[in-house]
Amino acid sequence: MTHEDEIIRKRQRERARIMALLLGAFVVLLFFITMAKTGLNW
Amino acid sequence: MPTLEMANPAALPADWRDIFALTKPRVMSLVVFTGLAGLLAAPVLPPLVLGFTAILCIALAAGACGALNQWYEADLDAKMRRTAKRPLPAGRMDPQSALHFGVGLGSFSVLLMGLATNWLAAILLAASILFYVLVYTVWLKPRTAQNIVIGGAAGAFPPLIGWVAATGHVAALPLLLFAVIFLWTPPHFWALSLFVRSDYAAAGIPMLPVVAGVTNTRRQIFLYSLPMAAAAIAPWPLGMTGPIYGISAAILSFVFLVLAGRVLTNRATDPARMEPEKHLFAFSVLYLFALFTVLVADRFLPW
Repeated sequence: MTHEDEIIRKRQRERARIMALLLGAFVVLLFFITMAKTGLNW
Repeated sequence: MPTLEMANPAALPADWRDIFALTKPRVMSLVVFTGLAGLLAAPVLPPLVLGFTAILCIALAAGACGALNQWYEADLDAKMRRTAKRPLPAGRMDPQSALHFGVGLGSFSVLLMGLATNWLAAILLAASILFYVLVYTVWLKPRTAQNIVIGGAAGAFPPLIGWVAATGHVAALPLLLFAVIFLWTPPHFWALSLFVRSDYAAAGIPMLPVVAGVTNTRRQIFLYSLPMAAAAIAPWPLGMTGPIYGISAAILSFVFLVLAGRVLTNRATDPARMEPEKHLFAFSVLYLFALFTVLVADRFLPW
């Protein structure tokens, strides 16, 4: 693997990790929004 | 596997730090703060998670504005020392990625605001994004020295949106807060543009000091500071806030006017001798933070 490939892989890995974290946070947020909107305030 | 040319870094997938930098995080902090203050100053508070989501949407919309602004102005940013190292002019990201990111983030923020709070707040959020990108960035900024005056309305939306997200309707107090930021923007940006005017001139942006001269700009700074101070103090005599806000707003506005007066009487044309302009610019940021802090304190403290 060349140096350029390593940089591409590293950036893709970092972006995938951050995207996974953001999607996870979004799912949790949607859950709590649904609870609040349906009147089940936690 | 084919390899990409390192000579063209934009061909690489953008680093996440550069994508984050597109959102102008420092500008976002002031927008988030004023939006939060508008929400907390409202007479009714939404459930915690909905309030958090409203502020998140305001932050995401501000990030979208930053990204779309940098996408549209990449060529101008390359000509200014202050902005030449941003991801697009520095060639670390391709423009299409920035455009997609900005449009996606803006659309997402509006939809989430509508679903989580109410659609009036979502419409105001969409209007603020469109106003900033289309009216300010694309239309006014490259054409008129009044760009900051009308464009300032885009930055004035957050407290109004925060209030509407909490209450579902527009009222007089958030409209006054809108007026404060709207009138604060010209003195704030013109103070900055006085001591970095060579940058704006190099980029061909018709900022007031470049077009109308230094003396005229100083006069305009002082003239805009007067109605700004009046709008900032007005909620107290109108019975919308208590004395904590009223007295603090009067003191803060007095200091602002004194600093604007020092700018008015300064005759220097060399940026190195523009201490009054630098002091006013620095204080103007503190002024807005302090004003909105006391607004919230006034709402919650028992006086």
